[in-house]
Amino acid sequence: MSDSTIQHNEDSRDVTFRVHRFNPQVDSKPYFDDYTIRLEKGITVLRALNYIKEHVDASLTFRAFCQAGICGSCAMRVNNMSKLACTTQVWDELDKCREPGIIKVEPLRNLPLIKDLVVEMDPLVEKMKGYSNWVDSKMPEENWGRKEFPVSEAEFLKYDKATDCILCASCVSECTILRANKQYVSPAVLLKSYRMNVDSRDSMHEQRLAGLVKDHGVWDCTHCYRCQESCVKHIPIMDAIHGIREEAIAERGVKDTSGARHAEAFMEDIGKKGKLVEATLPIRTNGVVWTMKNLLPMAFKMVLKRRTPPPPPLVKSTKDIEKFRAEFREMSGHVAKDHAKKSGE
Amino acid sequence: MKPFDIVIVGGGGAGLYAAMEAMKTNPGLNIAVLSKIYPNRSHTSAAQGGANAALANKAKDDTVEMHIFDTIKGSDYLADQDAVEVLCSEAPKIIRELENMGTPWSRLEDNTIAQRPFGGAGRPRCCYCADKTGHTILQTLYEQCLRKGVFFFNEYFALDLCVDGSRSRGLIAMNIKTGRIEAFPAKTVIFATGGYAKMYWNRSSNAAGNTGDGQAIAYRAGISLKDMEFVQFHPTGLRKSGLLVTEGARGEGGYLVNALGERFMSRYAPEKMELGPRDLVSRSLETEILEGRGFDSPAGKYLHLDLRHLGPELIKSRLPQIREMCMYFEGVDPIDEPIPVRPTAHYSMGGIDTDNFGRTGMEGVYAAGECGCVSVHGANRLGGNSLLDILVFGRIAGRAAAEEAGKFNPSPISETEVTAKELELRSFMQPSGHYERYGSLREDLGHTLGMNVGIYREATKIRQGIEEIATLKERFSHVRVFDSGDVYNTNLLQVLELRNMLDLAETVAAGALVREESRGSHTRTDFPTRDDINWHRHTTYTLEGTGPRLGFKPVVMGRYELQERTY
Amino acid sequence: MKQYAYYQSCINESMTKEVDRSIELWQHDLGIEMVKLHESTCCGGSNLDYVSPKHFALVNARNIAAAEKLGLDLVVSCNTCLMTIRSAKKKLDESAELRTEVNEILSKEGLQYRGTSEVRHLLWVLIDDVGLDTIREKVKVPLSKLRIAPFYGCHILRPSTVLGKDNPMEPTSLDQLLDALGGKTIRYDHKNRCCGFHTLLVAEEESLNVAAEALQEAMDEKADCIVTPCPLCHTVLDGYQAKALKKSGSHGSIPVYHLSEVVGLALGFTERQLGIRRHIVT
Repeated sequence: MSDSTIQHNEDSRDVTFRVHRFNPQVDSKPYFDDYTIRLEKGITVLRALNYIKEHVDASLTFRAFCQAGICGSCAMRVNNMSKLACTTQVWDELDKCREPGIIKVEPLRNLPLIKDLVVEMDPLVEKMKGYSNWVDSKMPEENWGRKEFPVSEAEFLKYDKATDCILCASCVSECTILRANKQYVSPAVLLKSYRMNVDSRDSMHEQRLAGLVKDHGVWDCTHCYRCQESCVKHIPIMDAIHGIREEAIAERGVKDTSGARHAEAFMEDIGKKGKLVEATLPIRTNGVVWTMKNLLPMAFKMVLKRRTPPPPPLVKSTKDIEKFRAEFREMSGHVAKDHAKKSGE
Repeated sequence: MKPFDIVIVGGGGAGLYAAMEAMKTNPGLNIAVLSKIYPNRSHTSAAQGGANAALANKAKDDTVEMHIFDTIKGSDYLADQDAVEVLCSEAPKIIRELENMGTPWSRLEDNTIAQRPFGGAGRPRCCYCADKTGHTILQTLYEQCLRKGVFFFNEYFALDLCVDGSRSRGLIAMNIKTGRIEAFPAKTVIFATGGYAKMYWNRSSNAAGNTGDGQAIAYRAGISLKDMEFVQFHPTGLRKSGLLVTEGARGEGGYLVNALGERFMSRYAPEKMELGPRDLVSRSLETEILEGRGFDSPAGKYLHLDLRHLGPELIKSRLPQIREMCMYFEGVDPIDEPIPVRPTAHYSMGGIDTDNFGRTGMEGVYAAGECGCVSVHGANRLGGNSLLDILVFGRIAGRAAAEEAGKFNPSPISETEVTAKELELRSFMQPSGHYERYGSLREDLGHTLGMNVGIYREATKIRQGIEEIATLKERFSHVRVFDSGDVYNTNLLQVLELRNMLDLAETVAAGALVREESRGSHTRTDFPTRDDINWHRHTTYTLEGTGPRLGFKPVVMGRYELQERTY
Repeated sequence: MKQYAYYQSCINESMTKEVDRSIELWQHDLGIEMVKLHESTCCGGSNLDYVSPKHFALVNARNIAAAEKLGLDLVVSCNTCLMTIRSAKKKLDESAELRTEVNEILSKEGLQYRGTSEVRHLLWVLIDDVGLDTIREKVKVPLSKLRIAPFYGCHILRPSTVLGKDNPMEPTSLDQLLDALGGKTIRYDHKNRCCGFHTLLVAEEESLNVAAEALQEAMDEKADCIVTPCPLCHTVLDGYQAKALKKSGSHGSIPVYHLSEVVGLALGFTERQLGIRRHIVT
């Protein structure tokens, strides 16, 4: 290969787009088409696709609208990563190709495929509806427009960043749990729910929270942070998910879901021993019946290999545990004071 | 099939507000919103700046009256003063209403809605949410419509109205996901499909879909359009995409430079230089390009907006979004390279002729937002008034339609009508000997409009433009849709959008030719001054045969007498 | 001999003891020494943070302060402990108020969080301090016969605002190390994906689906083994392998090694010495 074909800094070159194709009326399964076109530096992936559609293959199908990174229509997977085609420079992608010079373009994951690069967005809209992702105003509708709610900067900052979301569904496409179970609430929906829940003008936050802690809700997130890393607006989505969990525990306690009980067990163990008591974690999270059914069959093998965590009495406490316990308790005092102050406000 | 009470075409700010208000007016109504995209994708989201309202949060002495005057003056006295009064006096209520339903407005220190100064406004009255105002308003309205249970037909493309004499019976649309042609019998129809400035194609900052669908459907059904010649240009659009580089770049001290390396603004505005008024700067860039001092590229001629002398620190701290945009869309880092720019079409003042209630010339048909023309913007729209327009008149149209819907029962839309439409669309896919590709037609349309009906207009050029548009229409009759599938056929959609743009382009050019004066965004080099005696009136366009018949309408005056527009 | 304060992860003290055992075997061969912090406590996983943000800050300020007392960087060999302690550090470094509150309590034990010690993963120390060239030189038994599927795990990569060492979606560090050990790494989608550990007890079915997909892809790509720098990923991919694959209706199995074990193998230690026989899949 000559130098000129591998250098990416020249002003124009041939680029191959390996594009996912599927037309449900004709194809039994998806396949890829290669389009090689000569491109000028500075071209975005979307403009390249437009070029292919106009000059090479008019049947190539994708969504695009504003072409300015604000409408969220053209989210797709480029070189294996969900992003907006309109804000992605071809030259930047050339460095990320698995096969040199070949940019792979695929539809978003975790949403039903319609055609080529177009996926069905209705499931996302339905979830938005299902979790009541709107401000249910404290002001009765007949009084709307008469006066403003005063909103402090602190209150505003709670939801400011989350309102950047353009529902492009890149995070949905990258989500680990959604990939395993399509019923999962999904990161974009959690972000929106969080945004509503922290809005001082909203009146149904308890009800929304009650929905979020149910099955397939906020506790199913596996903290892989893929949503956050793929967010085209750089929104810290995991902060929102943690925010909902923090609120769920603070307001609903730990009784209603295994996720909350699981989280609380960490607090309990650290406070007592400084270390996690892994052996009883399953029981405390899911109860005895679940543990017997799900983990006992495996336990036999684990015991053979001496891989079982030690029973609680044998978990060695941290060195200087007494001092640590005192500190932990002292912090509990601080937290209690914080709560008192907050509820006194 | 039972007719809908209201079918709203378009799910942007105007359409969604109309839906909301109609539901509030009469919760029992059967309302459908048709949108060719998911409503939350609508072009309302691209409006960054804000919406004007004399809340007097920031400047305590601001009044609705001052807002009215600024708007009328800004319109170069072509706006109807009664309509402007509605716009401005409804403004505070509408902003507060959005606030009450959850729009995340930025705030002042006293916790009230923040306001900032905007071009052409005597007081800081533009309410905003950082630089994402339109986006957050659109999200709020969509959320509230979901809350209210508004019925959405997402990814439906409206094709044509069904008309009984002077009255609409509803419309026919295509389900994009399946390709099925479906009838939407309706007591009332509201068009809220946005603007038509995308006809300037890559010389436009508009979304790909701002193709004037509603205006074109209405026009084909015999409804009059108004003031179509008025298209606003922004001086610094990116060369390739037309996307806007906001005035902030020049505000921070950016230079406009031509191919000779000159800061050419010294020729046009020696004192203000790059910070002259928007229309003057637009015209200056255009002159440089026309007189051959621009740079050449396959994407067309352009000039440089040079920020390099500001240094990396300032660019990174004060203009991060502009930098990001240049890198994303143009592949240029303004720290190292000048930004390639040229003027870009970004707003259409004209649209479907409506009264102050959104009513059009046809019974049962309404229009609102950029799609309609009340007119509140006249010959030139003020910054911060476009979001306001869609909200105020979207809401009014929604209420008016809801009140009317109960009073009429349309005759049904027949199978034959639907089948005829199907056949018409199929005909685009029939192979024929000689064929045209929509892509080159669309590009040629943008080019001819930019060259002949752009910032500078002049009789010979406009005539040439009209001829070229006629040729393009002829070529369009041979256009071919290569994708013959039913499911999500964007090839077909683009052809249908092109047809709409071609129909409307004729009216824009016809209006540009007939209006022998310079007013607001419309600059005739052969008639360089405003002519109030002959041209203080609206133009109207009604389809007759295959082209527009022009008419005129008086401007509704009020308290404000005609004055010269100086700033 | 460069010293590091070594954080003892709960899991490495109970279920995956082989990790620390391996490190002890070869550390001196590579010129490094891990000084165990016996007074450290559980980092709180990714849970304590939202149960009680303040306890979370206290516990990890204390963990880091113990390293600072020794004047050493804190080295971690569990991804989640790494991410957790680093995010606590970020919060502490960004808030003087929080630092003061925490230090007031810690002072009673003679500890102080100052923010002077870095919190690093063992993998980073191997690459940045020991150096790939040195490692290459020290290798006695190159892993050249192995086609390895590197499995990074999430919390050594993401959130990038906290980790920031490697490309969060296209990482290369583990590949580089395995390459220095003489192994051949394969490219596959799951190398930067999630193992499912953190929902194992909350949404088991989803977790096992996630794990099964990763295992299956590695097997489909004809990898001989998977190598991971995280004992939590190891626990799922090894300990739950049979269950996960059974659920997905797949046959076959694939061994999963800890990073510390493959380093040991390349340096000439035996499977028995390294504790590899303790694995469920062998």
